[in-house]
Amino acid sequence: MGIAMAVAVIATMLFLGQIGNIDWTNITQGGYVLQNEAVELIPSIGVSWKVGADALSFPMIWLTAVLIPISMLVEWDAKRGHLFHPLLLVMEGALLGVFVVLDLFVFYVFWELTLIPMFLLILMWGGDDRRYASMKFFIYTFAASVIMLVGILVMYFHTDPISGMGSLTGHHFDLVAMTAQENLIPSEGLRHLVWLMLLIGFATKMPSVPVHTWLPDAHVQAPTAGSMLLAGVMLKMGAYGFLRVAVTVFPESTIEFIPLLIVLGMASLVYGAWVCMGQTNLKRMVAYSSVSHMGLIFLGIATMQPLGIAGALFMMFAHGIISPLLFAVAGAFKHHYHTLEIGSMRGIAHHSPWLAAHMMLGWMASLGLPLLAGFVAEVAIMIAFWMTYGWLVLLPALTLIITAVYYLSSMQRTIFESNDPEKGILPDTMHGEEPRDITWHENAGMLILGAMTVLFGIMPFIFWDMMSDWSSGFTFETLIDAMHSQGWKP
Amino acid sequence: MSSILTDIDLDTTMLLLPEILMLLGIVAMILIPNLGDATMRIPLTRTRVPIFIGGTRSEFSNNPKLPNTIASGVLGLALLTSFLYLGEEADVGNALHIDEFSRLFTLLFTSALLLATLATSTRMPAKPKATPPMVADSDEVADSKVAALIDNRRQVDFHILLLTTGLGMSLMAMATNLFMLFVCLELASLSSYVLVAFHKEADVGGEAGMKYFMVGSVVSAIGIYGMSLLYIWSGSLDMAELAATWSAMETNDPLAIIGVGMMMVAFGFKVGAAPFHLAVPDAYSGASSPIAGLLATASKAMGFVALIRLLLIVTMPPSGQAIWMLSIALIAVLTMTWGNLAALTSDNPKRMLAYSSVAHAGYMLAAMAAIGSGLADASSSSMILTAVVFHLLILVLFKLGAFLVLSMLEADGGGHRIEDLHGLVRREPAIGVAMFVFMLSLAGVPPLSGFLSKLLMINGIVSVSAGTGAVTSTTVVDWAGGVDPLFWLAVAIVLNSALSLFYYLRIGLVMFFESPETESGLRNAPNLRLAIFGCAILTILFGIGPMSEWLLDMVTSAVDSMMGL
Repeated sequence: MGIAMAVAVIATMLFLGQIGNIDWTNITQGGYVLQNEAVELIPSIGVSWKVGADALSFPMIWLTAVLIPISMLVEWDAKRGHLFHPLLLVMEGALLGVFVVLDLFVFYVFWELTLIPMFLLILMWGGDDRRYASMKFFIYTFAASVIMLVGILVMYFHTDPISGMGSLTGHHFDLVAMTAQENLIPSEGLRHLVWLMLLIGFATKMPSVPVHTWLPDAHVQAPTAGSMLLAGVMLKMGAYGFLRVAVTVFPESTIEFIPLLIVLGMASLVYGAWVCMGQTNLKRMVAYSSVSHMGLIFLGIATMQPLGIAGALFMMFAHGIISPLLFAVAGAFKHHYHTLEIGSMRGIAHHSPWLAAHMMLGWMASLGLPLLAGFVAEVAIMIAFWMTYGWLVLLPALTLIITAVYYLSSMQRTIFESNDPEKGILPDTMHGEEPRDITWHENAGMLILGAMTVLFGIMPFIFWDMMSDWSSGFTFETLIDAMHSQGWKP
Repeated sequence: MSSILTDIDLDTTMLLLPEILMLLGIVAMILIPNLGDATMRIPLTRTRVPIFIGGTRSEFSNNPKLPNTIASGVLGLALLTSFLYLGEEADVGNALHIDEFSRLFTLLFTSALLLATLATSTRMPAKPKATPPMVADSDEVADSKVAALIDNRRQVDFHILLLTTGLGMSLMAMATNLFMLFVCLELASLSSYVLVAFHKEADVGGEAGMKYFMVGSVVSAIGIYGMSLLYIWSGSLDMAELAATWSAMETNDPLAIIGVGMMMVAFGFKVGAAPFHLAVPDAYSGASSPIAGLLATASKAMGFVALIRLLLIVTMPPSGQAIWMLSIALIAVLTMTWGNLAALTSDNPKRMLAYSSVAHAGYMLAAMAAIGSGLADASSSSMILTAVVFHLLILVLFKLGAFLVLSMLEADGGGHRIEDLHGLVRREPAIGVAMFVFMLSLAGVPPLSGFLSKLLMINGIVSVSAGTGAVTSTTVVDWAGGVDPLFWLAVAIVLNSALSLFYYLRIGLVMFFESPETESGLRNAPNLRLAIFGCAILTILFGIGPMSEWLLDMVTSAVDSMMGL
């Protein structure tokens, strides 16, 4: 366990060390600062090891590198730690792979590779119903990504040969070259079909209504660290892949399907929030709130404005630090009070003041309190949405009220609202055990997450500038041309 | 006699070393286990001279592991020599031609046979009740159990048959004459019929062997009849002459067409193409798993060599669509769909793998149809054929590998029900993970080698057909209407692959999720374990990285040499 932690810390330190060498302000769309020389992996079919980071992937890489040690810290005392912590490291490797590769074949391989550690985490360390949950998780995401693979293959068959690569098939998987190729798929109908196939793959991972049902089950059964990574980074893979592949390579199709994006985003946002109100299980509620927040990302992309896209990018990042905090809190309830039922306990703040404090911060951040990270993203998306679609913004804006309702009520019913100010009501599952506060390592992990939430709420520009650069570059260089070609007036 | 000896020079003979080794192995297998202390009295004297054959056998010649050791040694040497002579090219007489292509197939046959031999090292029961050695047993106990389990004489029979199969297959790949081709094919087939029925104590074994033999001989008779029609038509059975006569033919001669069609039936049975595949699932599930694996890989590859010779050498027109294209395309779609649908409903893992092998034959036939469409130029034909040969080569790893895993279960009486695979990962983590790799590779999941070959085949079909669709069409429907029908073969492969995922993943899921019926580990068979892990690792290595490149280059140059590029 210690070794795993050391390896992770070294990896994180190395990564943080790299940040100093980068000129952040110059990261724009298409400029990959950490790009390597492509190494041929399977030249016969045009697969190469090509990695790079730009403003789209960089925050995600940073997030992965930071979240893995934190999730290890929170579950420092995991059972069978000699397996648990290495699995998290395998997870880190696969996730970083997804975010850095610029070759669709390798991207797909890493994409599937992330499934295996998460699947094992749920299967081996999960709750009572873990077999059902892990199987559902596996089948949903695997089936969706096979559809995505078909889409990728159709793209592959349309690529022009790259000079210097002795490809037997005459095609390649290089994403940068695909993006650069004018009119990758000439037939408009086929292009739309491919775009939809990619959407199915990515939207299932995000997840968006109506393919979201694996998420609550997986979250409820997963161990705390698994939930933190699932919500923190794995869901972002969907949004990242959507932006990286579908939106960037086929901007025309994206513009064509904006109504679909709005419908999906609205449905996720409103339905997710609405269902949250009816949940009695803390983790289920947080899981549905993730669905709801992911809906906002689609809405941000659908605005087709630099502000909205940057807001969606920041949403990915902010949700990536807030939702692990929420799941860490929920995990601590499960750990120390052996239940996740919201109604079964009252006044926990008396017994576990630290837990209550973290819960309050996390819940507030997630419902979008100003000066916390979530607010920045939400307000950017709302403004951009208003600029593009006018009063339609009322629907997402009013949904934020529902969000506030379920967060506040669940918090109030759990940590406050006790008739007896001294004791509170302990859940039956305690069986007379003395209530304790959270352990030092849980506390440390949550403190770091909480501190980051506040930091990025007050100083969002640390990543915002980069994201904003990327999205304005993308809008002006690619989207506007695409809009013209679709007969739109921007 | 002397003229034949002087005709064959030593260098050419050396090139036949793999086959000579196998022949010597058969001779050794007959002689060595019979060595004993028998003596013969010289008539009219009292002197007895030892004649060594017969009598009480020594510890060495009585050793039950001996035939297996000889067979694996011989096959290993044959594998090595065929690898060393890969680049050589020579004519032997006027019926055999050694080139890179045929040597590559010798490589395939010998490696499949070697794997099957390794798998049978501890599983030839003399008494059906004998128990196999378990992991927990000490070395001495395990040795004594193995000795009780296997019988030297039956081992000899079995391994002689294995070597004859190898000999037949290997010579068959070099044949330039249809008659030679058929004789070698029959040598290999007859041995494999006996191998299927080898477990005659079990009812299924006898039934499967009988059924396989009956169907096989009827189909062979049809093939020979077709061949005789071809002979009547052209007066020769030499493939080069047949090809010349075929391309000189102005209008289609019914005699020739019927002859070729009948031979396609014979070879179609060998590759397991629908509707000639009906005996295949019974044969596979009745035979012991290593033999079933052999049928699914080496025997199928043999059928494909014959098909390639017949379809691409003899009857391929210099330009335009080949006459067999439509029938092969229809058979391909029928084969893959039938195979996958039947595999979906099958609860016996061996039957499931048998049907999946039928489906794989369909994918490869679809690729052959793309060559026959006449839309492909020489380089894309070579690319498609490379994909087919590459797929045949790597099938040895993950198809035979999966059968080897079943063979481990079979020794404990299992392997015939999906329940036997339940919780395999918990019982034997390494074997379970290897099986999962095989399943993913069969399904064609990147980055495993199964994906690489499937992608190359789909790419071949798409690249020769997709360009025919209208580029400017704005809807999918417009485009689909304009494209060459060949394109739908690629779609059929993709849809079938998606279908096949269900049953491959089902195996994977029961291995992880279901609780095992017994907690005990599997038997201690180090050779077999080594073979399984080797297959799993090579399945990954041939899918990505320099190894895959090396193998593909080898296949490409072999195919180019065969097609005369």
